[in-house]
Amino acid sequence: MNHDEIKSVVQEKFLSSERVTAFLCDAKVLHPDWVKKDRLLAIVEFGDEKAVFCLFTSCYPPKSFTDLSIEIVLPIDKSFKCEIDNKPSDPEAILYLNLQSRNNKYKFEIQMTPRVDNFVDDLFRGIEAVNNVPTQPEFVWLKKYHGRNDNDILTHTMVLPGGVPHTQSSAPVAIRESLIKHKMSDKEYEYTFTKRFTIFCGTWNVNDKSPVIPLKGWLSIDKEPPDIYAVGFQELDLSKETFLFDQTMREDEWYNAVINYVDKRAKYVKVEKVRLVGMMLIILIKEKHFSHVRNVVCDTVGTGIMGKMGNKGGVSIRFDLHSTSLCFVNSHLAAHVEEYERRNQDFRDICNRTRFIQPNQLPKGIKDHDHIYWLGDLNYRITELDPTTVKKLVNNNDFGPVLEWDQLKQQHKCNNVFAGYIEGDIMFKPTYKYDPGTDNWDSSEKNRAPAWCDRIFWKGDKIVQLAYRSHPSLNISDHKPVSAIFNSAIKIIDEEKYRKVYEEVIKQLDKMENELIPQVKVDRTEIDFGTVQYLELQVRTITITNIGKLPVEFEFIKKLDEASFCKEWLIVEPYKKCICAEETCEIQLKVLINKTSACKMNAGTDKLYDILVLHLYGGKDIFITINGTYQRSSFGCSIEVLVNLNMPIKEVPVGKLIELENKRDQCVSNQSTYSIPKEIWFLVDHIYLHGLKEPNLFEQPGFHSEILQIRDWLDNGSVDPIPGSIHSVAEALLLLLESTADPIIPYNLQSVCLRASANYLQCKQIVMELPEFRKNVFLYLCEFLQEALQHSAENGLDSKTLSTLFGAIFLRDNPNQIQEPQSRINKQVIDKKKAQFVYHFLVNDHSDLIFSR
Amino acid sequence: MGVGKSCLLHQFTDKKFMADCPHTIGVEFGTRIIEVAGQKIKLQIWDTAGQERFRAVTRSYYRGAAGALMVYDITRRSTYNHLSSWLTDTRNLTNPSTVIFLIGNKSDLDAQRDVTYEEAKQFADENGLMFVEASAKTGQNVEEAFLETAKKIYQSIQDGRLDLNAAESGVQHKPASPGRPLAAPPAARDNCAC
Repeated sequence: MNHDEIKSVVQEKFLSSERVTAFLCDAKVLHPDWVKKDRLLAIVEFGDEKAVFCLFTSCYPPKSFTDLSIEIVLPIDKSFKCEIDNKPSDPEAILYLNLQSRNNKYKFEIQMTPRVDNFVDDLFRGIEAVNNVPTQPEFVWLKKYHGRNDNDILTHTMVLPGGVPHTQSSAPVAIRESLIKHKMSDKEYEYTFTKRFTIFCGTWNVNDKSPVIPLKGWLSIDKEPPDIYAVGFQELDLSKETFLFDQTMREDEWYNAVINYVDKRAKYVKVEKVRLVGMMLIILIKEKHFSHVRNVVCDTVGTGIMGKMGNKGGVSIRFDLHSTSLCFVNSHLAAHVEEYERRNQDFRDICNRTRFIQPNQLPKGIKDHDHIYWLGDLNYRITELDPTTVKKLVNNNDFGPVLEWDQLKQQHKCNNVFAGYIEGDIMFKPTYKYDPGTDNWDSSEKNRAPAWCDRIFWKGDKIVQLAYRSHPSLNISDHKPVSAIFNSAIKIIDEEKYRKVYEEVIKQLDKMENELIPQVKVDRTEIDFGTVQYLELQVRTITITNIGKLPVEFEFIKKLDEASFCKEWLIVEPYKKCICAEETCEIQLKVLINKTSACKMNAGTDKLYDILVLHLYGGKDIFITINGTYQRSSFGCSIEVLVNLNMPIKEVPVGKLIELENKRDQCVSNQSTYSIPKEIWFLVDHIYLHGLKEPNLFEQPGFHSEILQIRDWLDNGSVDPIPGSIHSVAEALLLLLESTADPIIPYNLQSVCLRASANYLQCKQIVMELPEFRKNVFLYLCEFLQEALQHSAENGLDSKTLSTLFGAIFLRDNPNQIQEPQSRINKQVIDKKKAQFVYHFLVNDHSDLIFSR
Repeated sequence: MGVGKSCLLHQFTDKKFMADCPHTIGVEFGTRIIEVAGQKIKLQIWDTAGQERFRAVTRSYYRGAAGALMVYDITRRSTYNHLSSWLTDTRNLTNPSTVIFLIGNKSDLDAQRDVTYEEAKQFADENGLMFVEASAKTGQNVEEAFLETAKKIYQSIQDGRLDLNAAESGVQHKPASPGRPLAAPPAARDNCAC
């Protein structure tokens, strides 16, 4: 089964409008854990859209489309990527094809065959085409080709390019090389001109004879000496030794004879000579052209006994002349009148099995050449006409009626052999079979009809045949020699123009590559939040527009040695997203100074400033600068600082505040203004005066806006009464206590407190030892809460609820301590102990502590 | 007005002069494939923001660079005076094998010259830097500066001074049988900092 037959089977798997443009057999799907063999890769085209399919072949070669099942579908869209590698252990024979489409990545192992070139070329044409159109193709036609659950590729409509940071990206140079090749061949006409060469092709079955006669009448009868000689012989030597050991004296005899009798008006040199048993092909070229001959390779294929012996078959020589590739084949096909099918098969075998191996290149076949000249004893006969009639007609030079029955003409017409090749009109007598030494038809008993066994075909553009003839005077064999003269256009590269075009192509590719680097526009890179106040959320928006041709994935990334990509007071939403071409994405930047960050702002260890790194995958980074002024607040100050402020915090110079914060440990009572912070006193006093009987005190939440007003009242100072409802004031008090830089009971005492929580005396002992101002605040609040509990009939408070609420505030968990994943129960136990600790001071008379001051 | 790093990069990748080039706010990124000693090398060039306020952030990009191009403006002495602090950063944050190339840009503005060639050359020699005066505007010496840097990196690889296996060598090698049309020759990365 040949390539075209398999192709038609593969094609049947698809609709007729979906064309299989290239395919590869014997592929494997590689996975880190498994390998799937017997896969076939096909490129299928529907309109302008292409996709790569991987099919499982249940038998090889597949005989019908039912032997194939589609496994993987990879649409060639803008996200499609292809990388090619050689298998390190066997770079000559195995290639790895890494294909990626949308979110799917596959690695295929393929055999290095001449087909690979076509397949890869086709693939790159597809990739190039899809990247040249502005819109992403839809691939509606692919929807029917995948199962509902498995490989549901098309449901992933989001396209993610790569996802690899550019530090690791390595655009495959192999693709680029292939692209350059492809682009250069597209522009070939721009840098090449053609020059006509005359080529002499001769073929002769010498029937085991030595060259005992001059060959001038065959090789040197034209007006001008040809530029190239291609001379083929068959049956040089029919001895057993030659057949078995492939050695013969005749090789040199005939070679020398050719050298002796080529046109003497020009000087020729040998390009190559190749022989298999009795078949020999000699290529000579005028000396002046020799320096433009490159990459000369020959190959031989035996199709004789057992389908591989060299008694029949073909010998071939290929070379590049300037920038045209030429291939010459000399073949001797199967004999016997009725064996034309065999001869067709021999032709196909020679085509399929001839491999020109060149170092560091994919092997080439016969068809991979610009010009092909095929000569030889092709052995096709005349059927259906009796020998007498044939002889009568050809003796009168009436060849037409006879040629109608020529098997080769018939088979060629049906494309069974030499498809795509041309043969010139035959205007000479059959060249077989004669009585050796005469021009008489074979007189043996077999009485065969004469036939045109010896023929010359060609294939390629701009080739004109000038002569096609036989040479009856050379009569030592039972065949007559045949020759043809061709006038062929050979492409010559204008080096200077080539370099120019090459540079252009490179420049274009460089440009393309740089254009494919993700490009976005960010509407602003400097965001000023202005004045930011405690607990007041501020939002700014930046807009990112994808101005490139590909989808872009962005992410805010961490800077060197930083744990997070932004400061703790900043929220970026979204911090990571993919934007399709020409689309925009709004990013919200939110600043919120809460109790954690407020302390640092007050202490000057942090400020409202950050630079964000907006990274585009596979592209550049953009720096976004965040700026703002934090208006300092009593919230987030430490108790030791607040007791020293005898004016509203707004009136305190920033430097002074930072200084106080940093010296807070040295704060002592006799130098301080107050024994408890005035802000706490204001709030407590307000509740004491106006809210002790308020139902649901400390349980009903206040209003955020009122809390902010209370914050301003405290921070700015005012002669007006405290604004807002009692509930807002109560909540502000809780927030203020919660936001102090250090908790009222220091972190290091917390575990002691929890252990002592069951024992009032021990608890008292701990409170005695608290830093002075915290002890003041603690006892002051407890006194106040006891007072509040006096009015529980009105305000609904009970000591349990209050001790739980204030337990969590007095005994704050250390946010800097890595919290062990506490079990729910454990947390409940701790909360209970905190409450228990505080409970003692809400139900017991602890005035002794106060008076002990 | 900057010293012209982005313009140099643009001239190298696009062979065009970008007048009115805005300040780089971040790290731009350009590539070009060049040939050194018959090997195709892909240069990946990072063009970092030069403004002082970004200096702390751009430091992250030095790591893993195989080469660094340090640029000053020959018409403004202040940019030249800053070189030693940039050089200190570069040396501290890159490998000992990182190739550092000094470029005096705007050589087309010879009339406004503020730093002599000799002075800068001496600075370069004393600090073991390669040096050239170039013009992103006319393209003079731009190609040379990048190519010379690449060559020097390539040499370091050949001499074994640059270890390709080190994660931070800044160079990636694609193993392949050379010359095979489908195989990928070595690719290199080259960073531009300053």
